[in-house]
Amino acid sequence: MTTVPTPSLAGEVDLSPEPRRLAGLGAVAPALGLLALFFVVPVVALLLRSVLEPQPGLQNYAEVFGSTTYLKVFGNTFLVAGLVTLVTLLLAFPVAWFLAVAPRRWSALLFGVIVLSMWTNLLARTYAWMVLLQGTGIINRMLMQIGLISEPLSLINNLVGVTIGMTYIMLPFMILPLHATIRTLDPTVFQAASLCGASRFQVFRLVFAPLVASGVAAGVLMVFVMSLGYFVTPALLGGTSNMMLAELIAQLVQSLLNWGLAGAAAFILLVVTLAIYAVQFRYFGFGGGEAR
Amino acid sequence: MKACTLIAASMLAISATLSGIGSASAQDSMVFTSWGGTTQEAQKKAWAEPFTASSGIAVKQDGPTDYGKFKAMVESGNVNWDVVDVEGDFAVAAAKAGLLEPLDPALTKSGDLDPRFSSAHHVGSFYYSFVLGFNKAKLGGKEPKVWADLFDTKAFPGKRTFYKWSAPGVLEIALLADGVKPDKLYPLDLDRAFKKLDTIKPNIVWWSGGAQSQQLLASGEAPLGMFWNGRIFAIQAENPQVGLSWEENLTAADVLVIPKGAKNKAAAMKFLAAASSAQGQADMAVKTGYAPTNLKSAALMDPKVAATLPDKFTTSQINLDMAYWAANRDEIGKRWYEWQAK
Repeated sequence: MTTVPTPSLAGEVDLSPEPRRLAGLGAVAPALGLLALFFVVPVVALLLRSVLEPQPGLQNYAEVFGSTTYLKVFGNTFLVAGLVTLVTLLLAFPVAWFLAVAPRRWSALLFGVIVLSMWTNLLARTYAWMVLLQGTGIINRMLMQIGLISEPLSLINNLVGVTIGMTYIMLPFMILPLHATIRTLDPTVFQAASLCGASRFQVFRLVFAPLVASGVAAGVLMVFVMSLGYFVTPALLGGTSNMMLAELIAQLVQSLLNWGLAGAAAFILLVVTLAIYAVQFRYFGFGGGEAR
Repeated sequence: MKACTLIAASMLAISATLSGIGSASAQDSMVFTSWGGTTQEAQKKAWAEPFTASSGIAVKQDGPTDYGKFKAMVESGNVNWDVVDVEGDFAVAAAKAGLLEPLDPALTKSGDLDPRFSSAHHVGSFYYSFVLGFNKAKLGGKEPKVWADLFDTKAFPGKRTFYKWSAPGVLEIALLADGVKPDKLYPLDLDRAFKKLDTIKPNIVWWSGGAQSQQLLASGEAPLGMFWNGRIFAIQAENPQVGLSWEENLTAADVLVIPKGAKNKAAAMKFLAAASSAQGQADMAVKTGYAPTNLKSAALMDPKVAATLPDKFTTSQINLDMAYWAANRDEIGKRWYEWQAK
């Protein structure tokens, strides 16, 4: 850095765009280095294995796309991630709304509960769901005791169990971005729209929806992408017939020692994830506040 | 962990100085890896602690065993494990793939080791049986006896639990229940086994680890199923409603191996000698309810304890064929997970 920026009149050198950007780059260098070393390098190594093992070629990819089982696992992965995202959105929206409009004390309390749940060990929370949901679990016993059902409901080792467990874990990741957006809304905007003759539906469609869209998009993206790669909860609460991709990859790596095939499956998932990010970026930027 | 090592190391240093022999330097240590839980605890007490006391070599515990990690260590040449407890079929396959150190021939030469569970690359860790376990309280007092009972949902309604991973056991059980004679089991008729399993697939709950299997049985979530005999042994102590049948019990073993390129090979060989010795195996059996893989161990044990171990139920016992599994592991594994995901 030999070029010294020419001081402007008021001495606000720091605020001119160019030096600021460079200073920022220096600060993120350690994080970028860490990512390159511990994420990019292993991912590339895995990608190489997928085209080199057991012999050079694309046979691993052919096997993934040629097997009905693997395609079914892919389908399951998207089904579960989509379902979890939808349920999470429906549940999170009212909570985010309440957080934004409730008296401070109430919202602080609710915030505490949400954050506290994130601090609790994931495995412990998943095991807790196992205890609650199983055939001899508390939920089924209670329902049977009050006579609502005579046979225990199947709430675990199937899609229901996975959806419940993952929705619970993903809720904060939806609530927080939604809340951040809703909090910035100015109620007078809606009043203005009404005064100008917009119907309630028009207010919702033309004013409210565009304003919260970026928050919804950020939450949906975060939850969907996190769900795609989820391992612990589906493995413990799901059945073998709704296996997700992460579990399949773990099996290939740990039990079958077929790293070529595992690499292919992992790489396909990575490409899909990046594609989703690209779409998000194209339409909503980086999930920031600027709605169009 | 670090503190423990430090204390152990400094104790070693002190004892070496005091005794003046100094046969063991302070750096002498090795890493033992197993599956965690009660089994590894027993291995620590039965083998590692006495071994450290007699040899001066500190034994660090690590785990759980992970075949992916195992392979990665050997391939990268940075092997942090010196002795690893693995399943028998993995050991045979891993030896073929060049992932294991050949053992000192003196280890297996004595003839004391059960030949079913030792080879040029492994010695027995402990041997166990898959048995039919049940919870009487949840079955209206009825007691299942044979593997076919697991497939009879009329006589024994409710969920039944099986081992989740592709490994010797479940397919054999399905074939035996379907009427295949024990001496005609191998090579496995996979189509027939999967067809038999299809008949109860909706009633199966899979257990992926020993603790989960115990929880399923004790809670009655799955009132019957296949289990490692040692796990039933452990819950019977607290729950008299839990029983087991030794009819057609299926034996398999965990074995001890040294990964190729292990850093403390010499210490590891010594550890294997101690762990597979008559005394080491006897101590392990008493603590776990699994059977010793050293033929001389039985003489060192309390007869009352020895009478409850799998090696006393040999009349109705079937040995799972590890060589067959090692040769067909990948192919069966693929079909197994495909069938599960269907």
